[in-house]
Amino acid sequence: MTTNKFGIRIAASALALAVSYGAHAVTDEEILNDHKTPEDIVSYGMGTQGQRYSTLADLNTSNVQHLQPAWAFSFGSEKMRGQESQPLIKDGVMYVTASYSRIYAVDARTGEEIWQYDARLPDGIMPCCDVVNRGAAIYGDKVFFGTLDAKLVALNKDTGKPVWIKKVADYQAGYAITAAPMVVKGKVITGVSGGEFGIVGKVEAYDAHTGDLVWTRPTVEGHMGYVWKGGKKIENGISGGEAGKTWPAEMWKNGGAATWLGGTYDADTDSLFFGTGNPAPWNSHLRPGDNLFSSSRLAIDPDDGSIKWHFQTTPNDGWDYDGVNELISFDYEEGGKTVKAAATADRNGFFYVLNRENGDFIRGFPFVDKITWAKGLDTETGRPIFAEDGRPGNPADMEGGKGEVVVAQPAFLGGKNWMPMAFSQDTGLFYVPSNEWSMDIWNEPVSYKKGAAFLGAGFTIKPANDDYIGVLRAMDPKTGKEVWRYENPAPLWGGVMTTAGNLVFTGTPEGHLKAFNAMTGEELYRFNTGSGVVGTPVTWTMDGEQYVSVSSGWGGAVPLWGGEVAKVVKDFNQGGMVWTFKLPKDRVAAAN
Amino acid sequence: MKIVSRILALFLLVQLAAAQDVNDGIQLLNRPADRTYDIILDSGYLKVGVYRDFPPYSYEVDGEPRGIDVALGQRIAEEMGVRFMVHWITPDEELGDDLRNNVWKGHYLDKQRLADVMLRVPYDKQYAYMQDSTGEYINEQVVLFGPYQQETWQIAYDPGQLESVETVAVFQYNPVGVEIDTLPDFYLTSSLNGRMREQVRQFPSVGDAFDAMRRGEVSAVMGMRAQIDHELAKPENGSFRGASNGFPGLLKQVWDVGMAIKHTHRQLGYALEAIVDRMVTSGELNELFAGHELRYSVPGYYRAFLDDEAIARAEGGE
Repeated sequence: MTTNKFGIRIAASALALAVSYGAHAVTDEEILNDHKTPEDIVSYGMGTQGQRYSTLADLNTSNVQHLQPAWAFSFGSEKMRGQESQPLIKDGVMYVTASYSRIYAVDARTGEEIWQYDARLPDGIMPCCDVVNRGAAIYGDKVFFGTLDAKLVALNKDTGKPVWIKKVADYQAGYAITAAPMVVKGKVITGVSGGEFGIVGKVEAYDAHTGDLVWTRPTVEGHMGYVWKGGKKIENGISGGEAGKTWPAEMWKNGGAATWLGGTYDADTDSLFFGTGNPAPWNSHLRPGDNLFSSSRLAIDPDDGSIKWHFQTTPNDGWDYDGVNELISFDYEEGGKTVKAAATADRNGFFYVLNRENGDFIRGFPFVDKITWAKGLDTETGRPIFAEDGRPGNPADMEGGKGEVVVAQPAFLGGKNWMPMAFSQDTGLFYVPSNEWSMDIWNEPVSYKKGAAFLGAGFTIKPANDDYIGVLRAMDPKTGKEVWRYENPAPLWGGVMTTAGNLVFTGTPEGHLKAFNAMTGEELYRFNTGSGVVGTPVTWTMDGEQYVSVSSGWGGAVPLWGGEVAKVVKDFNQGGMVWTFKLPKDRVAAAN
Repeated sequence: MKIVSRILALFLLVQLAAAQDVNDGIQLLNRPADRTYDIILDSGYLKVGVYRDFPPYSYEVDGEPRGIDVALGQRIAEEMGVRFMVHWITPDEELGDDLRNNVWKGHYLDKQRLADVMLRVPYDKQYAYMQDSTGEYINEQVVLFGPYQQETWQIAYDPGQLESVETVAVFQYNPVGVEIDTLPDFYLTSSLNGRMREQVRQFPSVGDAFDAMRRGEVSAVMGMRAQIDHELAKPENGSFRGASNGFPGLLKQVWDVGMAIKHTHRQLGYALEAIVDRMVTSGELNELFAGHELRYSVPGYYRAFLDDEAIARAEGGE
């Protein structure tokens, strides 16, 4: 009997291997149903809406303490820094990206490498935003990921050999790609990163098979969008209608609004949701006006890139409050009706619930303890009510010495930064990885750039409390109430996942993968991965067992800044691993 | 002995005219070589850090490094009896980043690559001894020394579009070109309560702004004086003129430009300082600038202790 069973198991795993190495094409349907199919993860967000909710309940509050490591895989080389990737799983193979634009295919059962692809980065490249990569997309027989030199790379998913490589933007002009692309209706859709002045954000769609550009949509008012039909480039309307409505002079030509964190897709409304970064130049006094579409959320038609609606979280931003954070689609019942909503927790400290059909503001509330730059949100429009003296000073008013110091909270790294939150369909709560910190900003009296006198802003970031910076919060999107919180000494910088097992997972810079009771916030599990966790956990089922994976490797934007926050994180060691855990079959039964 | 080494150096210069970037980092440990003064002399070359694509200071023509900073670097190497090697610097957001990436630590994507000395580093005591919020000296890893030039701002205009530029107020009514994200950009967009803002046109470089002036899109261009002089010396810009207006409300009107080395390489700094000091006071640097059709001003540093006659000599007077 045992030999028999053993024999069957070998046959089964051999078959699985054969399947995994075979050309099992990923379809549009599989991507659209990703949130319902826990045996694979074929989208960033564990579903295109980005809810990061798994229907799996084998692993739950009663047995999570038995979750045990199955394997760990090193990204190798001396290249470490932040590992912010979310793995994908398909046919027993994990596709995971790593810092410095690397991607790996790993046997999801054993952790053995199948292939590795290192993007060859040009000499003298100066990426604006650390060397992270947040994940890949998968479709047909290909995997796709973006590189630090702003290219989109399509690889054969079984061999790792490049099929096509397209330049999305010019890295020398300050562009990069760090976000995971997504595939919608056969098109690979990506945004761009860019920290330097002179860039203009955009969203672009490429044909997944050929790599041909299908459409491009600039995210700054005044720039023309295009579609390509039969090899012809056809005008498809100026973003915002015309130039100069919300920008002075010709500043719209270099307006910023980088789409650096990618997007989500809602099939119900057939909309892509992309966020945009802060406007340029940094100092808001130089560009009076709302500066659309900076610090906004955009609903974009996936067929031609047209903008359906926009919602601006921080008009005329002066605090570096990027509006890039993910907009997650979700439905809720109110007065017997289903509301098609979408929610986002902005860098600026406010949590917004929008009508995802038209972008109307439903409600908004702070998700951090203190906001100094605004007194609140207009209850009708959601527009911030700016606080007096909350805006950094005008450089033109400065005389000689250090400019007036303005204290702003949240700090420029945001109430919540890039790390994605999760929405539980069971509890109806959002689990928001947030940070409590403030910043001092002033105009620097002495500053130089490229051999010339310059006018820089000085800033320093400070923890708001003595004993913690990070706060994982369970927020009720209907009431704005914080249901529970978990406080963490270091700033939280990793993504969150929640499951039908009443669990919430996230990582900490201290190195732990942690699991919490989704209803109460009670910490139920922790495992030390050896380096800070700033990746996003995933879960799936394979061979009848539930697995959890997360990348480990301390880095990202936090250690790039000094000041008092550095004291908390300076002793964390770098790393570069993906850790995989599973709940052994017998533990499911034992616990039940 | 010095003459011999100079001749040898000249010979080597001819041999290795290209003076390309060298990779002498330590691969195994993935860090730059610790090139102290003695090691530089032994190696036979000096790696001089200059900004890429930055005329008239440092740029490339047909694969050859050119410009006033390149010429100064070549003269320094020659004096030291070693070959000149160019170390191109891609500018980051501000000077502190460039010093970290090129002088003391190396860029995290290219950890083995450092310059022995970086040129075009503003020499400013206030900047050199700047402290961060916790009281640490921000620039303690480098020595800023050897001021060799004083730089300032300058406007060029098209007399076909503007009669003259008496004051910057004319830019309330006439378009003016600037390099994006520079002090002229901020100055013209924020001064006089932003009244000139609508006329500011931003370009990737001063050269691009001059292209636009030739097309009639802007009536004037504001940049650093050497940048403007360099453009005005070009035949295609022959009809344009330099203005002599002031810049009211502009915080930094003039500043000294010098060099930077790693703080543990002070012996190299003393040697370089001696060479550059002689070039400044003898008028040799002035000649070098004149050869590039650029005006030369002695650094403010020297004005504090040189008498008028000595300053005049340094600036090419009698």
